[in-house]
Amino acid sequence: MSQPVIHLQDLVHRYGKHEALHGLSLSVEPGSCYGFFGRNGAGKTTAIKCLLNLLRPQSGSVRVFGLDPRRDEAEIKSRLAYVPDFVAFYPWMSVRESLDYQASFRPRWSRETEARLLAQFQLDPAAPTSGLSKGQRTQLALVGAIASEPELLVLDEPTSGLDPMVRREFIRTIIGAYQEAAPGKRTVFVSTHLIAEFEGLIDGFTILDQGRAVLESNADEARTKFRRFRARFDGDAPPVTAFPAAKSARRDGRDLELVVNGNGDAILDQLRACKPLSVETESLSLEEIVVATIGGNVS
Amino acid sequence: MILHVNFKSGVPVYLQIALQVKAAAAAGTLRPGEALPSVRALAEELRINRNTAARAYSELESEGVVENRHGAGCYLRATSASPLRHAVRSERLGAELDAVIVQAHHLQIPDSELLSLLRERLAAFRERQSAADRNS
Repeated sequence: MSQPVIHLQDLVHRYGKHEALHGLSLSVEPGSCYGFFGRNGAGKTTAIKCLLNLLRPQSGSVRVFGLDPRRDEAEIKSRLAYVPDFVAFYPWMSVRESLDYQASFRPRWSRETEARLLAQFQLDPAAPTSGLSKGQRTQLALVGAIASEPELLVLDEPTSGLDPMVRREFIRTIIGAYQEAAPGKRTVFVSTHLIAEFEGLIDGFTILDQGRAVLESNADEARTKFRRFRARFDGDAPPVTAFPAAKSARRDGRDLELVVNGNGDAILDQLRACKPLSVETESLSLEEIVVATIGGNVS
Repeated sequence: MILHVNFKSGVPVYLQIALQVKAAAAAGTLRPGEALPSVRALAEELRINRNTAARAYSELESEGVVENRHGAGCYLRATSASPLRHAVRSERLGAELDAVIVQAHHLQIPDSELLSLLRERLAAFRERQSAADRNS
């Protein structure tokens, strides 16, 4: 197996007494599109800042391209691009000047990609950055990040502020075009709440809750393990207590709904043995898996 | 050819694509020599990762269903002889049949009825196949 692009091991970070990361470990393979999911305040942004040496964890290890951000910050930053949740530009610069300024720091810059994305986003190069909307600021930051052709693209809530059409286009074509240019070598690490929109793009993911990884999985494997069964019976449905191996169960008169994680086939056999009139099975979507994993009701 | 994916089916996405191509090839709606969409086009169309699209094609290539002409795209192979050994093929199909048998058991469908159902479906499939041949 090739060296992971990002490797976090037992990361701990405290802000004063508040512990934001509580032994986080994860590993991201090169060429993948990796999702980083969790509630607000789960520690996602803190973890991302540790990658960039914007924060130094109290313990644990961080490796990006196998390098330590504390020691090799400059090299890591020359090989990755980061689009934060909130983007700021020098207000006196135009879109054009701002991109030239960013390009001056980067070892690589594709004018062709830059032009294509400016056109796609309908950004006017002459417009002053001070007049850009939140969505346009995000777009400008994405143009800069992708034109610099990084090996690793770190996105923190990249679609917030984008209108639905732009968001769809971003997910459908822009990430694909970025990765397609060097298959297997360009990695995307994306923290987002809009899990449903990224569903097809995500190869692997980590769900973070209270500073810990509560689930790290390949997307297909997770969808194979997390399943929902809906059964309808002729008389009263069996009690939910008859299925202790299910992750959760709901019963309403003649209906029984089970959510399972991993032991689905055995539970399905058990359910069928109760002779239901009908059984429907489906996998949970990534968004439902996140909800089922960090608590709350799956509906 | 229009492919689609369903994230709630529980079948890995690359496999869904491979199965749809195989079904179309078996039914004759996709013909030998016909081009499949590029990895990039397929990924964009389905809003999936390019890795997933590429994996579907490499699966199909390893099974001898398609051939990848480098730089020129992916095509349905003229000879659809499976490179998989007979035993492997039987084993793969066997697992699918077992699932059907278990389901039939729970639905209390007698063996004779299950067999005639299989014959019926097979006849309907052959009918569709020859209809596709006539149209070509």
